[in-house]
Amino acid sequence: MRLLIIEDDDTLRETLAKQLAGEGFAVEQAADGREGQYQALEYPVDLAIIDLGLPEISGTDIIRAARDAGKTYPILILTARDRWQDKVDGLSAGADDYVVKPFHFEEVNARVSALLRRSGGWASSVLNAGPVSLDMSRQDLKVNGESVELTSFEYKIIEYLMVRAGEVISKTELTERLYDQDFERDSNVIEVFIGRLRKKLDPENTLKPIETLRGRGYRFALERNQAA
Amino acid sequence: MYSLNARLLISVSLLLLLFFGATIIVLDTAFRTAGERAREDILDGHLMSLFAVADVTPGGSLEMRRELPEPRFSALGSGLYAAIRNDGGDSVFESRSALGIDLPAIAPTAVGREQFDRLELQDGTPLLAMTLAVNWELGDGRLKPFVFSVYESLDGFNAQVASFRQQLFGWFAALAFIMLVSISILLRGLLRPLRQIETEIGEIEEGRRTSLSKDFPNELTGVARNMNLLIDSERARSDRYRKTLDNLAHSLKTPLAAMRSLSGDAGSADADRFNEQIDRMDEIVRYQLRKPGSVAGKHLLLAPVPIREETERLVNGLGKVYRDKAPDIDVSIDGRASFRGDTGDFLEMAGNLVDNACKWCRHKVRVTIKPAGESGLILTVADDGPGVPPEAREALLERGMRLDEKTPGHGIGLAIVRDIAESYGGHLAIQGSDLGGAQFTITIPPPGA
Repeated sequence: MRLLIIEDDDTLRETLAKQLAGEGFAVEQAADGREGQYQALEYPVDLAIIDLGLPEISGTDIIRAARDAGKTYPILILTARDRWQDKVDGLSAGADDYVVKPFHFEEVNARVSALLRRSGGWASSVLNAGPVSLDMSRQDLKVNGESVELTSFEYKIIEYLMVRAGEVISKTELTERLYDQDFERDSNVIEVFIGRLRKKLDPENTLKPIETLRGRGYRFALERNQAA
Repeated sequence: MYSLNARLLISVSLLLLLFFGATIIVLDTAFRTAGERAREDILDGHLMSLFAVADVTPGGSLEMRRELPEPRFSALGSGLYAAIRNDGGDSVFESRSALGIDLPAIAPTAVGREQFDRLELQDGTPLLAMTLAVNWELGDGRLKPFVFSVYESLDGFNAQVASFRQQLFGWFAALAFIMLVSISILLRGLLRPLRQIETEIGEIEEGRRTSLSKDFPNELTGVARNMNLLIDSERARSDRYRKTLDNLAHSLKTPLAAMRSLSGDAGSADADRFNEQIDRMDEIVRYQLRKPGSVAGKHLLLAPVPIREETERLVNGLGKVYRDKAPDIDVSIDGRASFRGDTGDFLEMAGNLVDNACKWCRHKVRVTIKPAGESGLILTVADDGPGVPPEAREALLERGMRLDEKTPGHGIGLAIVRDIAESYGGHLAIQGSDLGGAQFTITIPPPGA
């Protein structure tokens, strides 16, 4: 998952980026409104965290610009002055949720997960598809009620595929969204991880939860158990 | 009511009344005096002609040598009468016109001097009488006293005076009316610039205009210019104030957020105590920076807040935030409700209450906006959550008043709502709701009520 953080305070932005990266997200950063707006419009983004009090271009304007450009990814606003007017302005401009400074990281993390899940069409934080159940808040994957041990990369891949269950996700997209820009890209790594995931989720090869579409990418193929 | 127009009209009317009143009295007196003087001259002539026709026999009895020359003395009831009496007061001659009329006798005060009297006949007819007492010298040198009197009825004269008076009043009333009408037209023209200022201020209040126009008469340009300066500086001050608070909040809160994100790494007991201090600082900043915000926003030249639009924006926004919980928010707004003030203040009050309701409700939230009387605002937010026990309600509102006594982690939203409501002369109340939970009501009276 690629997150974009637009925040002008270096310490806050960098710490937040580090913490979110620790949760398995690929994080892009922008330190002012102009840079932030460029990234928000031009980069592939799954979720943006935008401070409202930015130099150059205000957070609200960036949100509006992104929505006008047809971007549908969820947006979480950070606001220092927790006036309702600012929150309402941000939400009306197209943001989906807000966090008031100074926030606890757990709060931001919880909001981010909830927004990503919702943007994938899941109403609850536990994603159920057939016998597979993924608890996003606990980062726990169960098949037929049995917990499956996953590495953090494996978890990120299955979470991304399951949140977008039913959609075809290209190898490039998967690579791009799972790694930071600077990370050396090697699509073979993805294939290796997918292979391992299939073995862990489906040792008997009866379930076939992850489908490979030659030349197009991967798809989580199990039907969702709950209404989107 | 205090009105320049009314005051001017009343004082002009009083002046006119005084001036015309005095003029009427002077003219009336002059006319009457001149008329009476003329009457007296005429009576004097008649008295002389009476002397001319009267003669006394050597025996001392009076006889008339011929008819009186004035025909009115001979016509019955003509209003002009003559009488000659002896010293006993007995009538020795009466003109034919006095036939059947009991002419009152007049006692002369001195011999040989004309005197005027005002009398009345028995039927009430007013008379002016001229009397002259003489001592007639007989042939043998004896003197015989006689009293000569002529009378004229004042009926005709009084009628003349009355008609003169009527005309006088009529003309002056018409004149006064015309003057008052023209003065009030003049006033309307003179006061128009003042009315224009009033209209333009009204337009500024409703947000249809940003400053007063320039085309006022010389006497008012100063007022208009100062008014514009005041409006500008008030706006600038309010903007600057808000900007300062925003910057201050931003520059205090962001480091706090950074500190918290750094402390999160430690994960020790020290980190908890560190976080606790950050919480306290955060709430102090929130409360102190919020409180004067409403004061900055509160000045006279504020347009009414578009309540319906803002409430819908708020409810839609909160709908996103609480998408997982998906509370059923029922909004009903009476169009007569109005809130003259800062939009931010309105959103702050409504936002805190509706957010709380969404947080605590099980499923239902009801937002009702009604006018307090003619206009004004009663905002009621009810939910079906656990509610607030009666004994805790007072404390809930007090929270945030003494920051050092609070337990960290409890919101100060309600204290902020109460402060804003009170800064607009209103109040915040907590009750139980018919939905089963809490019900918060903000009442803000219309401005000037």
